[in-house]
Order: sequence, then structure tokens, then C-alpha cells
Amino acid sequence: MTRAPRLERRGPTAFLFGAPAIIGLLLFLAVPFLMAFTLTFTDQRLVAPQSGHFIGWRNYERLLSVSYLVQSPRDKASGNVAAGWKPEYERVRSITRSNPEYRGYRPFTQFRIGQRRITILAQDPEFLQSLINTFAFALMVVPLQCSMALLLALLVNAGLRGQTIFRAIYFSPVVMSMVVVSIVWTFLFDRDLGSINRFISLVSFGTAPRIDWLGNPASAMPAIAIMSAWQGAGFQMLIFLAGLQGISQELYDAALIDGATSWQRFWNITIPGLRQTIIFVLVVTTIAALGLFTQIDVMTQGGPQNATSTVMFHAIQRGVREEDIAYGSTVAVVYFALITVLILAQQAIQKRSSK
Amino acid sequence: MAARRSSVIGLVSLSLLLCACGKDHRSNRIELTLWKHQAGDVEEAAGKLAVARFNASQSKWRITEQTLPQGGYTQSIVAASLAGRLPCLMTVDQPMVASFVWAGHLRPIDGLVSQAELTQVEAAAVGRYSGHLYSVGQFDAALAIFTRRSALKRIGARIPTLDHPWSLEEFDDILAKLKATGQYKYPLDLATRDPKADWWTYAFSPILQSFGGDLIDRSSMRSAEGVLNGPAALRFGQWFQSLFTRGFVDRREPDDRAFIAGRAAMVYTGSWWAPDYRTAAGDDLLILPPPDFGQGPVIGGGSWQWGISRTCSHADGAAAFISFLLKPSEVAKMADAAGMVPVTEAGAALSSDFRTGGKSRIFFELMRRFARQRPATPAFSVISNNFFFALQNIADGKNPQDALDDATDAIDQAIDDNGGYLTTTSAGR
Repeated sequence: MTRAPRLERRGPTAFLFGAPAIIGLLLFLAVPFLMAFTLTFTDQRLVAPQSGHFIGWRNYERLLSVSYLVQSPRDKASGNVAAGWKPEYERVRSITRSNPEYRGYRPFTQFRIGQRRITILAQDPEFLQSLINTFAFALMVVPLQCSMALLLALLVNAGLRGQTIFRAIYFSPVVMSMVVVSIVWTFLFDRDLGSINRFISLVSFGTAPRIDWLGNPASAMPAIAIMSAWQGAGFQMLIFLAGLQGISQELYDAALIDGATSWQRFWNITIPGLRQTIIFVLVVTTIAALGLFTQIDVMTQGGPQNATSTVMFHAIQRGVREEDIAYGSTVAVVYFALITVLILAQQAIQKRSSK
Repeated sequence: MAARRSSVIGLVSLSLLLCACGKDHRSNRIELTLWKHQAGDVEEAAGKLAVARFNASQSKWRITEQTLPQGGYTQSIVAASLAGRLPCLMTVDQPMVASFVWAGHLRPIDGLVSQAELTQVEAAAVGRYSGHLYSVGQFDAALAIFTRRSALKRIGARIPTLDHPWSLEEFDDILAKLKATGQYKYPLDLATRDPKADWWTYAFSPILQSFGGDLIDRSSMRSAEGVLNGPAALRFGQWFQSLFTRGFVDRREPDDRAFIAGRAAMVYTGSWWAPDYRTAAGDDLLILPPPDFGQGPVIGGGSWQWGISRTCSHADGAAAFISFLLKPSEVAKMADAAGMVPVTEAGAALSSDFRTGGKSRIFFELMRRFARQRPATPAFSVISNNFFFALQNIADGKNPQDALDDATDAIDQAIDDNGGYLTTTSAGR
């Protein structure tokens, strides 16, 4: 690492030149964040006759409280454990809605250990589900989008004919509005009339079952990941392209003389040469993935059954559409803290491994 | 800094210049600003003409209208209110009236517009909250079932009338028979592709009411317990879910042309679709009342209405404009130009489409007989959003009782958090 130029030596001129950016950051990033942070301790609403009151940690409690409930089967006492007997349990909500100890809790997930049924409860199960969904989306989309971008970059950098046109074509989805792309892909993903299912049924001679892409909890998020990767890959392709052109041709020439195969050239020259680019692209794509909102809002509204709800979607739902801006801010602040911790941990690990 | 200051001065002088231009120099009329949400082209043009007619009809006031995108309309009102720059007149979506009143954006109009003019307006088209009248509409919309005569004839189904609508059993039977013909994969189109809570609440909470449930206990407006999750609501939830499990309705309509293209035999939607359906089905088109699910047919009432802001210094001028809009000839002109359902009997009588025997008369009758408003409470956005998610989850297979219980809890919590919305505003901001 080269040492960063020291600010104080350049004096006030440096600050003057930096002022527009610094003021912009403070005004549009730092100040709103501090305001949001203050809001999290109030019950401020978007439309209200008076400003909010201080309510302490209530928003955080509602967001993060988790509890559990252990239930035994209902008629175990009768000893009727015959073959085919299925254990029955009291409905969780009749307990949470009547027992003051569990007031405000709703089931998040359920599993069984032996005859006992254990329910994990949360005051805001949608938030936990959204958190899991968002990271699952990032895990799906980041490798997909980055490898697609690298592949496209290699393709349009290979010196084939008409590659400028292809560069433009591959980049074009990035310029399109995400809302438009989402609407078009909703048509493509349609179970009965969508092109994707029609294509699948064509190549499988009608044997493949029709996939309800956006209607099935298992396939909805992957479908959105595929679409998002398609839409965004052009941008990363451009960065990879710049990276590729920064690798010295001499290295490839020397490798050719040494008789390296094209795979060896890719693995031993291209990839190491792109190391910094790859890290940059991964970071940028991950940040974009964690902010997933538009596609969800247009295509699934978080459904089916919360399978595609994301943290940003949840924050907008609660903060803007239900006008509980204090709670929406709490979602955003907690999410911010969580991502900050993750980044710090990742950097610490990176530092240790590079030593 | 110097550059910054001069640009600020430039901006200020520019805006002063624009203001000066806006004044009418020919006469000493008083300018009133009107904010409208962006509507369809036809409605937009009809509205512009109405404003022009008002400006020409008298010499005291001059209305200048500004159109704002519908998506961010509420946010614009809130922002303008915070900045103390609300226009004198504005259009308000009826379910938002209570919220706007609670927040102090609107002033009552029952002392400004004469009682005689207000009483002739159908109940569905006025926005009331805590004993006052805050908004009044010039038009409304009506929900109906659109189908083809030939489709019903084929399965031998009875054509329902306003007095004898289909019962739940009849309706289910018809859907099953339509499905059994094999002609329709999904016989009924419910516009399930609409991603907005507005539609789901507007369209399906009347069905919930017809089953005997409701969004909230309307006598107290304090809780949804036992109403949104009671036995009647549960029956509604189970029936709604069965529409999807029995394959009567597509969970996600790919587009809004299922009825036009003949993919669906029946569509449950608003009167605004009538022109397209008339073109598509011609004389074969039937416009029918929604079924009676137990407590009589119910449709949603309350569309975009007119309100006067609390900060308006010429409320009498704004009221004059509203009175002008309620004139039977104006109501009739809007109805015929934009296909909107007139809100007064006199207006309907003057309209060529909505007079007795007119081709759209059914919508006026539906509105007058069956329209019920969404609950007038500042909690409406919470109610609407939670009802929307409960229905979506029910359609996707969630246990209806669980879904309705969750919605009820969320609504009750929001009402409790706000102390039942009892605090009313003192003076305007």
C-alpha cells in the first residue's frame, strides 16, 4: 500500500476542493442518517397532528424480540398412541393472543423434537424472514451476476467481429428502468403464458412441468435473482472489460511461447490480473444486492408468503406505506449496523490472512 | 460562496417573475391554486374544461390547476403541509380524508357549501370524519361483475338482477360450471396482478362486508378484533382461498385482458372498464351486481373528492368552485365525458349515459344501493396494507385464521400506539 497524501500539508485548499463532496455527503447522507437514528426512539408518524414522543427502546424491542414456545401434543394424556396417530397441538396464535407473556409475538418458524413441537416466536417475524431472504438473494445473485459479467467481458474482448455492437447490447439492460424490466420479466415468468415456460416445454417436448416461477416460495427468489443478474451484469461487464484491457499483452505472448493452453492463460494470467477488479466488482454487487427493493415491489410484493420480502421492502412497507416512519427508520438503522459489523469483520479477516 | 449567493438571488427573482406572470392582469381576480392527482387523459381533459367553465362563469375567482403524479400525491400533500404551502383546493382520495383531517391538512366544508347542495350528494361520495364533512366528490366509481350473455346461457345460469343478485351458492355453482366447460382455465378475473393495496382493499373488503365481517369495528373505530378475524371473516377467508385452490381465479393474472381476450368468462372490476368491454363484447356484454354473500351485495364507495386546505385564506372562493362542480349540468358533463358515475340524482338525470334507461345507469344504481365507504379513520393506510397482505398470504395458501389474526393484531397495535387517534388538531400549522 502506498501512503496516502497527508491532508494538513495541502492546507485549506484541499478542503476547499473537497468541500462540495463533503457538504453533499454531510447534507444528504450523514444528516438524514442522524435524523433517522433520532427517529428510532420516537413514535413519529408520517402523517400526524403532532411530532412524535420519546418512547425509548420500544421500536428496537418490537423489531428484535425473539422468544420460543414448547408444546406437547394435545391428547397425549389419553395414551392413544396407536399407529397412524398424528400428534395435535394447540394453535400457536390462540396461545400468543391470550397469554400476556407472549403478547405481540407471532410464530417465525416451527420444528419438532420427538413429540414436542417447538415454535420460535418473534415480534416481527417478517423482519427476520426478510433478513434471511436478503442474504439468500445476495448469495444467489452475486456469484451469478459476477460470473456472467466476466464471461460477457471475455466474450466482447476476444477480438471477434462486431464486438462493439455486442458490448452495447449487453450493456443495454443496465440503462433500462428497473420497473420496466421487472414488468417485462413478470410476463416472461408467467406460468401459463410466459415465454420461459413455453421455451422449457418446447425443448423438453412438453414433458417438463410448468414452473410457477413467481408463485412458488421455492422458485420466486431464484427467479428474481436470475432477472436481476441479467439486468445488472452489463455494468460489471464494463468494469471487467476495463480490467482486462489493463493486463499487459506481453504476458499472454510470453505464455503462448511457453505453450500454455488457453485455460492456463485464463487461470494464471487473466484471473490474477483481475484480482483487484474482481474484489471491487464483488463488493459493489453485494452492496447493490443488499438493497433489493424495486423488483420485489413490482413483481411479488414480498410474496408468496414472505418468501421474497427483503429488508428494504419491509422498511418501506412499515415506514412509508403504513406511515410508521419511526419503525421504518429502526429497520434501516439496525440493518446498517448489521452490515457495518459484517464489513468490519470481513476486513479484519482479510487483513489477518494477507499478513 | 459569492457564486452560490448570486444563484440564490437569481432563483428568487426568477420565482418572483413567475409569480407575477401567474397573476391575472386584466381583472382583479383572486387566484386560487388547485392540486390534482394525475388521472387518465379523458378524465384530465374533462377536469380542465370544468375549471375553464368555472373561471368563465364569474369574475371574482380564478382557479389555476396543478397536476401531481398520483404515486407520490399523498407525500406531496404531507410535504406541502409541513412547509406551510398547501394549495387552497385539492383532490383527496376518500379513504385518506380522515388521515388528512387528523393531521390538520383539511378544513370542514359543511359551513361553506350550502346544505341543500350537499344533501343531494349520495352518501358514498362525501368524506366525513368526527362529525364534520371535509370532502365531497363530483363522481364515483362502481364495482360490478362483467360477463357475456352467451357464457351464462351455455351453462344455463340465471341472469341476476339488482333485486335478486346471485347467492354465494349460485355464484360458486356458476364458477364450477364455467370451469367445467373446459373453455376457461380460470373463469373469473379478479385483477390479482394489481400490486397495490388500494385495489385489494377497494375490491375485496366489500366482499368481506357482504359475508358479515368488516375491516374494523365501525361503531368505535378502535379495534378490528372479532370483526376482521371473526367467524364471518373466517368464512370469507376460506372462500377467498378456495377460489384459488379450486382453480376459479388465477393467482397472478398475466395481464388485464383476460375477459377481452376470452380467457376468463367473468371479471369483477370497476365501471372504468366498461368502454373497453363494450367494444370487446358488444351486445353480448352483461353488467351485473356482485353476489349477495349473506348480508346483501356490497361495493366500495368513495373515489377522489374535493377538499379545502386548513390554510386556505379564501375558503369562500374554494367553496364556490365546489358548489359549481356539484351543479347537475357539471356532474352530468363529467359523467358523460369521462364515464364517471354521477353522484347526484339530478346530475344522473341530465347525463345521457346515466339517466334512467341509459347504458351506464346500472353503475349509478349499484352505487346508490350497495356502496359502502372504507372506514374513515387515520389508521386506514395500516388497515389497508395489512388486509392486502393477509389476502395475498391467504391466496398463497396461508391459514386464513392465522392471516386474519395477524392483520387484526397489527391494526390494533397501530391504533393503540396512536392513542386511538383521539388527539385532534388545534389550530393549523
